Amino acid sequence: MNEIAVSVRHVRKSFGKHHVLEDVSFEIPTGQTWALLGRNGVGKTTLIQSLLGLMPVDAGGIQIAGCDPFKQPLELRRRVGYLAEDQSMYGWMTAMELCRFLQPFYPSWNPQLAERYLQRFEIPRHTRISRLSKGQSVKLGLVVALAHAPLVAILDDPALGLDSVSRKEFNRELVEHLQAEGRTVIYSSHLLAEVEAIADQVAILDRGRIVRQGATETLREEVQRVVLPLEFVCRHPAPAGLLDVQRLGEQVEVVIDGISRFLGQLSSQGISFSMTEMTLDDIFEAFVIGRPGRWSQIAADAGSISATSC
Amino acid sequence: MFLHVERGSSVPISRQIIEQVRSQCLSGVLAAGTKLPSVRELAQQLTVNVNTVFRVYERLAAEGLIELRHGDGTYVTHRQGQTHTQLKVQQEKFQREFEALIQQGAMLGFTASKLRSMLSAAFTAAKKSQE
Repeated sequence: MNEIAVSVRHVRKSFGKHHVLEDVSFEIPTGQTWALLGRNGVGKTTLIQSLLGLMPVDAGGIQIAGCDPFKQPLELRRRVGYLAEDQSMYGWMTAMELCRFLQPFYPSWNPQLAERYLQRFEIPRHTRISRLSKGQSVKLGLVVALAHAPLVAILDDPALGLDSVSRKEFNRELVEHLQAEGRTVIYSSHLLAEVEAIADQVAILDRGRIVRQGATETLREEVQRVVLPLEFVCRHPAPAGLLDVQRLGEQVEVVIDGISRFLGQLSSQGISFSMTEMTLDDIFEAFVIGRPGRWSQIAADAGSISATSC
Repeated sequence: MFLHVERGSSVPISRQIIEQVRSQCLSGVLAAGTKLPSVRELAQQLTVNVNTVFRVYERLAAEGLIELRHGDGTYVTHRQGQTHTQLKVQQEKFQREFEALIQQGAMLGFTASKLRSMLSAAFTAAKKSQE
């Protein structure tokens, strides 16, 4: 179980002067479901495409299911299933024709599995793909990504274009088959409430790096929001792990990564505080749009306005 | 076993499941000797990560509330004595949370009669979904 299914080391990628991936490193143990989170345009798809060898990188190393995607492209396709964000398939084929067409490319293609997925996702077998709805073609993309029983499944925003019922079906499929059979799943999503229930680990991609990675539960234990008296800001430098700070009248609300050390500091100084729990959504926001730099501004404002609080 | 997992809540999913199973074991809703669904079945039923459910069961087993019998399944344990105190602790905890919630409701401007009707509606819905 402790084998590593995916290993990414110091990957860099620029488009002209635009550094999309500055220095991306992570590892995914075999059998884990790993969710990649990030705002639009942050490089999720670029990262996923480099994992598949579809996008050359400027530097760094990638190993996935025991393959180097740039040196063993054929073997990689046998071991890895991929659903693209905007999957395009031959519109003139029907679902059945597409499956028959793809089967010879994959030694491990499982027709019964393909059949079961077609049934479960209620995809019409004999309608041309160009006539399928958006949701149906996403689901067909999933069928063909999974029918060769890949060791690693990479799904670029599979929830996009699925309605809530189909998403539930899809998530159930993921838990029931991919997870229970010990397969490794990488998927990107923007629906954090769903991600939390499904993923083992989440990784937040921002400003070209994985700014935080962790088990969903650990993340929620370590990142928390605390409300403190305003004077604390004036008397102390910004604490380690500060992700966001906001003034609320005579109090400040701070979000801290590595809460236990901070709470230790507070209680040793006898400072009163209250804590509120955060959802995964709140945590994600704190990492990507939090403004820890406001600390000194808040301290300065408070100091100049009321000499009593500072 | 009836469980309700709320997605996007500020209470982590594992804690939601642990608390619900624990309350049902302690209050006797889940009688001693009841066989629980397997990790895989429960993960499927709730659409929750398999490893999360596994950790929940381990935790409840460590508390002595359930028992993982190898090759057989997971059962609610037979306990004497301490169940009553544990149940009392949980009920007191619930009462504190309930009072805090009511206080919050009062601050939001709900009247006593409005709160009462909300309570009875929620209770009816809870009973119904347990059936």
